[in-house]
Amino acid sequence: MDYALEFETLKSKALDELNSASSLKDLNDLKNKYLAKKGEISLMMNHIREVEDKKAFGELYNACRKAVEEAIDLKIKEEETKKLNEDLAKEKIDITLPGNNYSRGVANPFYKVINEIEDIFVGMGYSVETGPEVDYDKYVFELLNIPHDHPARDMQDTLYIDNNLLLRSHTSSVQAHVMEKAKGQPIKIICPGKTYRRDDDDMTHSHQFAQVEGLVIDKNINLGNLKATLELFAQKMFSKDTKVRFRSSFFPFTEPSVEVDISCFNCKGKGCSLCKGTGWIEILGAGMVHPNVLKMSGYDPDEYSGFAFGIGIERVTMLKYGIDDIRRFYQNDIRFIKEFKKVKED
Amino acid sequence: MLVSLKEIAKYVDISSLTPEEIASRLTFSGIEVEEIKKSADATNLTIGKVIECKDHPDSDHLHVCKVDIGSDILDIVCGAPNVRKDLKVIVALPGAVLCGRTITKGSIRGVESNGMLCALNELGVDPKYLRKEQIEGIEELPEDAPLGETNVLGYLGLDDTILDLSLLANRSDCYSLYNVAREIGALFDRKVSIPTYEEFHNYEENDFVISSETEQCKSFYAKVVKGIEIKESPKWLKDVLQSEGIRSIDNIVDLGNYVMLLTGQPIHCYDYDKLNKKELIVKDNIEEEFTALDEKTYSIKNGDLCVASDNKTMCLGGIMGGLNSEISFTSKNIVVEVANFHFASIRKTSSRLGLSSDSSLRFSKGINKDQAEEVLNLFIHLLKDLSSFDEVSQVIKYDKFNHDKKVIDCSLTYINKRLGSNFNYEEVKEVLTLLNFEISDIDGDNFKAVVPSYRIDVEGKADLSEEIIRYKGFDNITNALPVMETTVGTVSSLREKERLIESYLLDNGFFETLNYTLVNEKDNNAFNYVNKNEGIVISNPLTEDHKFIRKNLLTSLLRTQEYNINHKETDFKIFEISNVYSKGDKEEVHLAMSLVGNKHVQDGITLSSYNFYDMKGYLEGILNLFNIDINRIKFNLIKDNDNDFHPNRSAEVTLDGKRLAVFGDIHPLKRNEYSLKKEACIILEMNLSLLFATRSANNKFMDISKFPKVKRDYAFIVSEEYPYLSIKQDIKKCSSLIKEISLFDIYKGEHVKENHVSLALSVTLEKMDSTLKEEEIVALDNKIKETLISKYKVEFRG
Repeated sequence: MDYALEFETLKSKALDELNSASSLKDLNDLKNKYLAKKGEISLMMNHIREVEDKKAFGELYNACRKAVEEAIDLKIKEEETKKLNEDLAKEKIDITLPGNNYSRGVANPFYKVINEIEDIFVGMGYSVETGPEVDYDKYVFELLNIPHDHPARDMQDTLYIDNNLLLRSHTSSVQAHVMEKAKGQPIKIICPGKTYRRDDDDMTHSHQFAQVEGLVIDKNINLGNLKATLELFAQKMFSKDTKVRFRSSFFPFTEPSVEVDISCFNCKGKGCSLCKGTGWIEILGAGMVHPNVLKMSGYDPDEYSGFAFGIGIERVTMLKYGIDDIRRFYQNDIRFIKEFKKVKED
Repeated sequence: MLVSLKEIAKYVDISSLTPEEIASRLTFSGIEVEEIKKSADATNLTIGKVIECKDHPDSDHLHVCKVDIGSDILDIVCGAPNVRKDLKVIVALPGAVLCGRTITKGSIRGVESNGMLCALNELGVDPKYLRKEQIEGIEELPEDAPLGETNVLGYLGLDDTILDLSLLANRSDCYSLYNVAREIGALFDRKVSIPTYEEFHNYEENDFVISSETEQCKSFYAKVVKGIEIKESPKWLKDVLQSEGIRSIDNIVDLGNYVMLLTGQPIHCYDYDKLNKKELIVKDNIEEEFTALDEKTYSIKNGDLCVASDNKTMCLGGIMGGLNSEISFTSKNIVVEVANFHFASIRKTSSRLGLSSDSSLRFSKGINKDQAEEVLNLFIHLLKDLSSFDEVSQVIKYDKFNHDKKVIDCSLTYINKRLGSNFNYEEVKEVLTLLNFEISDIDGDNFKAVVPSYRIDVEGKADLSEEIIRYKGFDNITNALPVMETTVGTVSSLREKERLIESYLLDNGFFETLNYTLVNEKDNNAFNYVNKNEGIVISNPLTEDHKFIRKNLLTSLLRTQEYNINHKETDFKIFEISNVYSKGDKEEVHLAMSLVGNKHVQDGITLSSYNFYDMKGYLEGILNLFNIDINRIKFNLIKDNDNDFHPNRSAEVTLDGKRLAVFGDIHPLKRNEYSLKKEACIILEMNLSLLFATRSANNKFMDISKFPKVKRDYAFIVSEEYPYLSIKQDIKKCSSLIKEISLFDIYKGEHVKENHVSLALSVTLEKMDSTLKEEEIVALDNKIKETLISKYKVEFRG
């Protein structure tokens, strides 16, 4: 028997059948038909007993088996790939549909700016303190060198609860609280918080607003220290090249007192509508802590000196973002809040 | 304070200084100039005479005039009712600009017109200083007005520039033109000349008594002037008063006002013959009805300063005179008062009565106490030009003030140290001297400064440092950050915790809102669950809407929610963290949250409505942030729920037995109140102070078992009357080997009895020191099953 011919015929037959097999099932059946234990090629092995040149037979057998197996496997693989691609095609989605919504919420810009101011001053080594909004006359006025009869009380139109208790009209009240607690030790704090005045609400006035109070007390604090501190703050808050200018002013609890202007970050001092053509924008009031204030809180004004400042949160926020009406902060229109998505400014 | 530069120029040399220069220098040195305004704003004017005036052929009110302007005769159409032949008028020539409006040649209803005849308000004079007929018609100039004069504003006294000063509380001295002149003189180093006059009297008044019975009036100077003539003021005086914003009344009242403008010292004049008795005594214990010069009646109370004659109030001291002793055109004899009323009393009375005047404005800021006699001398001196008089008395005075000069000890070292400056002694001395301080040297560093009496604001050496720097300019200080012991900047622990919650909620898609602390009564009375203390009421609220200090946050958050719902926002999450207050110095930090509408995937594709468990999840998330052991937390129905929350979908949360929070679905009956329609609304309020004050579980490392965990699942049907938490806790009690119990299925409906629920739990067992043995597991398994059967009558499912 010519086994070589026999194997060749078997192989041709298998490959012929392979040509006409198309489904994966046909291909697997075909594989079984020829290559399984009882498959036509496998059964050829029974003839090995009859041949003398077992090695030659073996080689013929293996070559035939390998050729058929490889051919079938190749086609199976092709079919599998084809099927997978068909399946994947069926799973096609519209990649332009929106993603599932996991967006972060947004804070009213009021909070954003408070946090930003806190971070700037913490970076300069300040501690952030808090103080009561409902406070005693003593802390809001008396200890700040504004005794009962003082004309400066005209400046404060205050909401009272009774003769002694009131809603604080400035965060400067925290100065007195902090000094009381510090018992003569150096101080370097800021305090953000809500304040209240007996004002009608309009575009630029609000019966409720907020300030960040700053207070530094030590043995050699001077007005130049205040200017440098505020300049650094303004540069972090607005823009790197911001300059600070002082104008003489009056607050009962500071002496000298100053109004602080910053160079307009919008026009870089050239004059624009934001700075009303002056190149400068008024942002806060400040000064050297009045000797009487130090004395009343247990600091020797001949030994200690200090500076204090009060930053209007809404004012700074309105300037920074060009917000036109202070009432927007308290209206909480979600469309308004959403405009302040960016977490950190560049 | 309005300052006429024309008037100022009488006392200080301001030649070659522009109003803008003066304004800018004043502003930087602490006297803010709010506005620079011209007393009139008109160009290209002349004075003319109407030589012919005919009715316009085509109008019932216009006139066609021929106006002689000296060099020419112009045809001008004029609509004023008072235009007539021979009247001297102000003519605006073609090309004239009146308050920005240009006058051109033109034709009015077919008649040529070559200019305009003017009223003063058309030249920019504030109508409040004009009489009705001056506004309705053109200005009628006197017959002797110079024809063809082109400096019309000069002729009218309207060629002035006015600085509007916005004075801070410390510079009340600048309510005096003299002191403004002194300030300008100092700032520009210009010569200042304030006139002083000798005392003049020609008879001794011995019977008239001047006195004060109150500490609130420590000085009262007066003079009696007899035989005066009350009449209209001369034009110069009217012009000055007008430029300073004061209406002219008569020569004596106007003089009093003028002297007040110059010196800052209010003056009051009484009709001598109308006084009940020959006395003026300041009292503060009168209670009566008093009719003031404004013809309104005021109730005077104990504490108000009254200048009384025979116990009858003649003048509400420092505020306004009485109608009973008013100067009128028939008055012959007067008493001139120069007194000092304490600012606090004046302010109190003035604000209580809602009555203020130029006088009370000055008194309430505090005035110079050392110039009374000079002021009276000035008054008498000026009176000579305004009225004839027969007799002037000596100064009758009552004075309990100490008139010693204020002296301040200071040093150059102190000033430079306070300012961060490098001034030398000469500079400092020069500045203070220019500002009228008298300096006496001590040793080249220390010096004494005598304060000028009008600077009542200067108290100590810190004030002197301010004088130096406001004069020299703030560019003279050295910018340098403070040098201090290094400190680590920290946000307070409270702020840190607030910020932690804030960022957790923001990360979870919430919007952070800011609401008013002051609310109306209705909102104040709603949703008071977390803080049950008595609230605080404002005693002087501006509006009823802002009368109560909120003691809880939920209502304001619901109002914000309502605003957004009304603005068509449909699905959102909002929160607020804020302090709240209640009586007895109680301050708490609260958190309020609200979930509205639906959870979303992909834009508007709704996943499902927010529900109770969403809010509970956020609540647990927050407790997790603070590592609060869940066993310390209890959830119960809200016992005091007053139809605010859904009775069965809301909970009170307690931490160690104290109410930490309430949350749940809003009650259907409350939905209308906050404009809710069908959308879900789940709200929460939490006492963060309680949470922050709670000691939380340790953050120390706990060893992790090396041995495998074993999981056992239990599926059973149980009556709904048993809360899941209690089942869970009872399982937990079965053994310390139980590390975790988690619910993985919950089912109600088909195959489950009514009022029953099918639960499936997975219990995780773990041992630290060995692998769990089969017998241990079996024993525990049995114990759990027994517990569930005996306590909860469960039926295990196959």
